[in-house]
Amino acid sequence: MTEHAAVEAVGLGKRYGSKWALRDCSLEIPSGSVTALVGPNGAGKTTLLQLAVGLSRPSAGSVSVLGHSPLTDARSLLPRVGFVAQEHPLYRGFTVSDTLKLGRKLNPSWDEGVALARIEHLGLPLGQKVGQLSGGQQAQIALTLALAKRPEVLLLDEPVASLDPLARREFLQSVMEAVAETGMTVILSSHIVADLERVCDHLVILSQARTQLVGPIDEIVASHRLLTGPRTDPASVERVHDVIRESHTERQTTLLVRANGHVYDSNWQLHEVDLEEIVLAYLGYGGPNGTGRASSREAVA
Amino acid sequence: MIEFHLDARSGVPTYLQLVQQVRQAVRLGILRPGDQLPTVKEVVSALAINPNTVLKAYRELDLAGLVEGRRGVGTFVSSELTPSPPDGVKELRSALQRWVGRARAAGLDDENMAALFADTVRPPAASRAA
Amino acid sequence: MFWASWRLQRTETLIAAGILALIAALLVPTGLNMASAYHHDGLSACLGQNPSDACDQAVHGFAARFDGLKNLLAWLTLVPGVIGVLFAAPFILELENGTTRLAWTQSITRRRWITNKLAIIVAAALVAAVVMTLLMAWWHAPLVRLDGRMENSIYDAEGVVPIGYTLFALGLALAVGVVWRRTVPAVIVGFVGYFAVRIFFDTWLRQRIVSPVTATWLDQPSPGARGAGPNLDHAWVISQGPSDKLGHALSLTASPCVRSLGSHSQAVSGDCLAQHGGGYMHAVYEPASRFWTLQGVETGIFAGAALAMILFAAWWTHQRAA
Repeated sequence: MTEHAAVEAVGLGKRYGSKWALRDCSLEIPSGSVTALVGPNGAGKTTLLQLAVGLSRPSAGSVSVLGHSPLTDARSLLPRVGFVAQEHPLYRGFTVSDTLKLGRKLNPSWDEGVALARIEHLGLPLGQKVGQLSGGQQAQIALTLALAKRPEVLLLDEPVASLDPLARREFLQSVMEAVAETGMTVILSSHIVADLERVCDHLVILSQARTQLVGPIDEIVASHRLLTGPRTDPASVERVHDVIRESHTERQTTLLVRANGHVYDSNWQLHEVDLEEIVLAYLGYGGPNGTGRASSREAVA
Repeated sequence: MIEFHLDARSGVPTYLQLVQQVRQAVRLGILRPGDQLPTVKEVVSALAINPNTVLKAYRELDLAGLVEGRRGVGTFVSSELTPSPPDGVKELRSALQRWVGRARAAGLDDENMAALFADTVRPPAASRAA
Repeated sequence: MFWASWRLQRTETLIAAGILALIAALLVPTGLNMASAYHHDGLSACLGQNPSDACDQAVHGFAARFDGLKNLLAWLTLVPGVIGVLFAAPFILELENGTTRLAWTQSITRRRWITNKLAIIVAAALVAAVVMTLLMAWWHAPLVRLDGRMENSIYDAEGVVPIGYTLFALGLALAVGVVWRRTVPAVIVGFVGYFAVRIFFDTWLRQRIVSPVTATWLDQPSPGARGAGPNLDHAWVISQGPSDKLGHALSLTASPCVRSLGSHSQAVSGDCLAQHGGGYMHAVYEPASRFWTLQGVETGIFAGAALAMILFAAWWTHQRAA
């Protein structure tokens, strides 16, 4: 186990009855990174995050956060890990100030100054009942609860899924400001890829309970290319590179590859691919005439 | 002080957009030697982007000699900056005008000229079929 | 963590306090009224084995006056069930709403949260049960002096059994709720279950906990003299009636010794009965001296079941994913 990994999973798996929600998950999230955890609903994102924060017990393998087990070392680890669950659960009957008081009472590392500064900056009324706030405001309160204990790792489960674009932007802005201030590690899951590229520098793609791709976003975007050329068998390309997706029309073949080195074949025209296309390809989307190849890939670099 | 903006759909990496905007600002005189660039936190607040991206952009500008970081204070436009010589630009402009004339005579319309230009300017690794 | 637990329990605690306040508002004036009537009628002189005729009348008058109210208050035996399930509700609500995902990711461990919450819930239920018992015991005091406290409707509200009842309802609602994770159904099942078990106990099981005493005695061996029967004063008489020497019950309706005096009255000739092998009385009863034994066993059963269910609820919540 490397020292600088904030979160590490080895063969991690979770089963509910006979169904595996997550399987054979092995990854390392570097300290200080902002990682996007993407995948369709039911892919295992929530399961992975809940295992990391100790809300769930692994059925197989192990996970460690900051070098400790979230289950056995919960007492010492919980103050260092911030978590916002899906739908940002809060006590609807509490006022904003009650909610902050809850945070203060339940967290020894609570920084009241940070909490109040955030609430003031966001313009949230302290006496208002949480249930009466908008979705965006509630998400911000949940985030405040997680941030005010000054965590080293922040886990966010679909934090912006139900928010309007402005609220989404403001939420991510808050998270980025906190990262700029403290250098904490963030893992945020989403089934929308669009926002993530500007905010995240690492990527984990989950699909059908398995990790499909893990690595730094720069390198992923730099190493994936779209190859277009006259209709042909991709065998020659496949010998050297990983073909993630192939599609054919009568006259043309299009391949999305993860290149191992330069693509030297002059038959092909090379194009860059944006992150969203890469993610879709790994999620098994085959394009209009194509076949995706959803299978486990090793980490990039 | 410069204000950054981000074009999410341009395909240009975020950090590179920031670098280009600083270069442009210096070129146009919006940023002068000794001016302070926005802090990482300010850029992050304004654009909701990863702070590492800003750091990467500023590092690249530092390596290029365009800016210098002063620990604990901020990042400043380099005081020893040589502006691009006006002669060079004038010559390039007339060469370009001649080229455009030739291209038009060859039958290229504006769109084709732009496509040709973009293809040529693109970073070498992406489009070369060597 | 206590502030947090209290705050989440606040509404239910206030409701429970409100219920108790309402009951007190009902009991206090009527109780004072009854106590003063007891003294006014001089009934304290009427206790004991051989009351005078005047006493007889006074006692019957008193009973007639307050019997209706006493029977009405018997329904208050449902209140421990209500309070029990009420205190279980917030715990289940957290599981239903998923706010445990918030509570368990602050800095306290799941185990501590569960222990803390359950401790507060149980303590609150105990306090409520004790308050209720004291109120009822105070109200019943005059009646208890007259008739003892073994009678079902009084017994249910005296001693320690109400504590057992409250904890049982609490435990049942909790056990159902943590598995089902739906508050309203769990509360309903908890209450209905409480009700069913109480009826079962009251009507069938209570008299079988400790074998009741049986007695057969000659009724009025000589005219005017009292039978040498047991002291049934203040006892819980399960059954009592004419019988033969061996204690087998005799039906008087078909007996030839019954003479009809009119449409609704009959006279029985004692000599005639004696000639036919009857003339005895048979009773099955629990004497007053067994009050605490029966209370202890019944409370033990209810509280023991409650403890098991509460521990189950704690264990189940701890094991399952959020």
